[in-house]
Amino acid sequence: MPRVLLLLPTTTYRTEAFVGAATRLGVDVTVVSEQPNTLARLNPAGLLTLDFKDSQKAAQRVVEFSTSHGIDAVVPVDSQVVVVAAAISAALGLRHNSIESVTAAHDKHLMRERFKQAGVPAPQSTLCSLDEDRAALAGQVDFPCVVKPLSLAASQGVIRADDESQFIRAVGRLQAILERQHGMPTASCSTSVSACADKRGRMSDSSSTSSRQFLVEQFVGGPEVALEGMLTRGELRVLALFDKPDPLDGPFFEETIYVTPSRLAAEKQKAIAQCAEQAARALGLTEGPIHAEVRLAKDGPSVIEVNSRSIGGLCSRMLRFETGMSLEELIIRHALEEDFELPERQSQATGVMMIPTARAGRLIEVHGLDEAKAVSGIEDVTISAHLGQRLVPLPEGSRYLGFIFARADSPEAVEAALRESHSKLKFVIEPTNDCTREGGRTSPAEESTGAV
Amino acid sequence: MSQSEISITGEPVSDATCRFTVDRPVYPDKSFAFLSKEAADNSPLASRLFEIDGITRVVISHDQVTVNKSAQADWPVIGKSIGTAIRAHLASDDPAVSDAAWENVPSSEEMREQVQHVLDTDINPSVAEHGGVIRLIDVKENQVFIQMGGGCQGCGQADVTLKFGIENSIRAAVPGVGDILDVTDHASGRNPYYTPSTK
Repeated sequence: MPRVLLLLPTTTYRTEAFVGAATRLGVDVTVVSEQPNTLARLNPAGLLTLDFKDSQKAAQRVVEFSTSHGIDAVVPVDSQVVVVAAAISAALGLRHNSIESVTAAHDKHLMRERFKQAGVPAPQSTLCSLDEDRAALAGQVDFPCVVKPLSLAASQGVIRADDESQFIRAVGRLQAILERQHGMPTASCSTSVSACADKRGRMSDSSSTSSRQFLVEQFVGGPEVALEGMLTRGELRVLALFDKPDPLDGPFFEETIYVTPSRLAAEKQKAIAQCAEQAARALGLTEGPIHAEVRLAKDGPSVIEVNSRSIGGLCSRMLRFETGMSLEELIIRHALEEDFELPERQSQATGVMMIPTARAGRLIEVHGLDEAKAVSGIEDVTISAHLGQRLVPLPEGSRYLGFIFARADSPEAVEAALRESHSKLKFVIEPTNDCTREGGRTSPAEESTGAV
Repeated sequence: MSQSEISITGEPVSDATCRFTVDRPVYPDKSFAFLSKEAADNSPLASRLFEIDGITRVVISHDQVTVNKSAQADWPVIGKSIGTAIRAHLASDDPAVSDAAWENVPSSEEMREQVQHVLDTDINPSVAEHGGVIRLIDVKENQVFIQMGGGCQGCGQADVTLKFGIENSIRAAVPGVGDILDVTDHASGRNPYYTPSTK
């Protein structure tokens, strides 16, 4: 039976989906995390611990491990582990993207550089440092702009500025976010160290430099879409194109609703797919899932980013393919180099809403869950935040309150169902001093309705 | 008894699982979980079902047959074969589950004791390091029901701990265990050890 090495960071949303997919496929699995599982000693073939920050050492350890347990595929489940996965695959001679390509895809500055070199339409950007004179920097910026960290995910730390004073405040806020990330032990592997991986995946000391760097990017107006695709020997197959019906104009860029199939005209969809493929090629990506964010500017598609991973959070639950195959099963089978035709997505319209964190504080209660689930077209509502959890909204936070999943006859019906379901939810959030980063309010528990 | 008179209703449990309810008992008042084709040797109904391409797991319980399939198999195709296999079995005098299948399986009470021993000696001392606890809720026939508490309840790594730690240890120590089912309400976990984020 083939053995799959599943790279599962301890804080990923993707554990259940990938573990379930591997179980359904009946493959042997070794789960790799950056922290030891408490039961690792009971199953040394199934539970392994690696330092994700040191790709070369991790690859060496897996090569040793593979002498007793042959590895047939390496599957990184999210962006935290794509670089180390590429290094391990290279060491084992398995299907993989090059380390350079995934490093570029994981670092927004390197990505922009590759796009520029290849002529991929993308926002103009400038690499800046937190150590530069901000007033002087502000004087050189064309507004509106977007201040953005190099490698955080889910729009964390991404802030729009329309003038010099907003810019200076945005950079100050980003600095606090980056410093907090570096100060938190659990976040250490998510910083921009990948930007400093060399061709063999080794990290250099310049990670501390890159962690003080950020991008100032031209703000591109227009609707945004997300493309989920699979690369095989450099050829892109679009698995789904998602409309994002809520405008993403800032000041923060909170992802909420994704609906597929897209309501865009076929020619626009084709242009987006071509653009995403061009962007993947510019990065050098050739294998496995990609997730691309594309803006539809007045003069055509503009690639915001392309990641060498599948869709994040619990969102993949809405994607089903022929014979009931999940996205994760498809990814594992592709990594195993199985000879199979990529199946079509089941044709019914579907969508997900990532429930935004409306305010900082502690989650006390959730009301209206049954009513939200009862809305016609709603398949499920999952509250992923736990009661008592400290909530931090964007741009400082990186967690969702939960996810709403819908399926209906049309994209319009899916979107309507998601909005109605969300409106039924009420989150009681108790403000706390440590959570309200701006203002430090301490008022009695407030009710936050589901409305965005 | 004409095979066509037997009514069977299929109800999807998930993309990979379908429950077939038959209008008469298949394995009266008992249940047995087969996790592999090899385990179904000498059990005629389960053997018939595992002959169908794509079947990965079979649970036979009173008037229900719950079947798991691989991603490649298509329900509309294999569903008909499953119905045919169940009807053919009922038309025969064969037992649904052979006595041989039970030979290596301890009684429910013995299995409960053995599973509890594994939890007490191997599992709980370790998961306690993360403030977790695993409780044995029940053993029915060869199916084991457990509940994860403390730091394990709602933990982002609960699935890994369950499938690659708990299941692995129980199966290694206790022969004949069928499904190990997690009945935890993870959504109510108040202090999970790992909380997912999009970092």
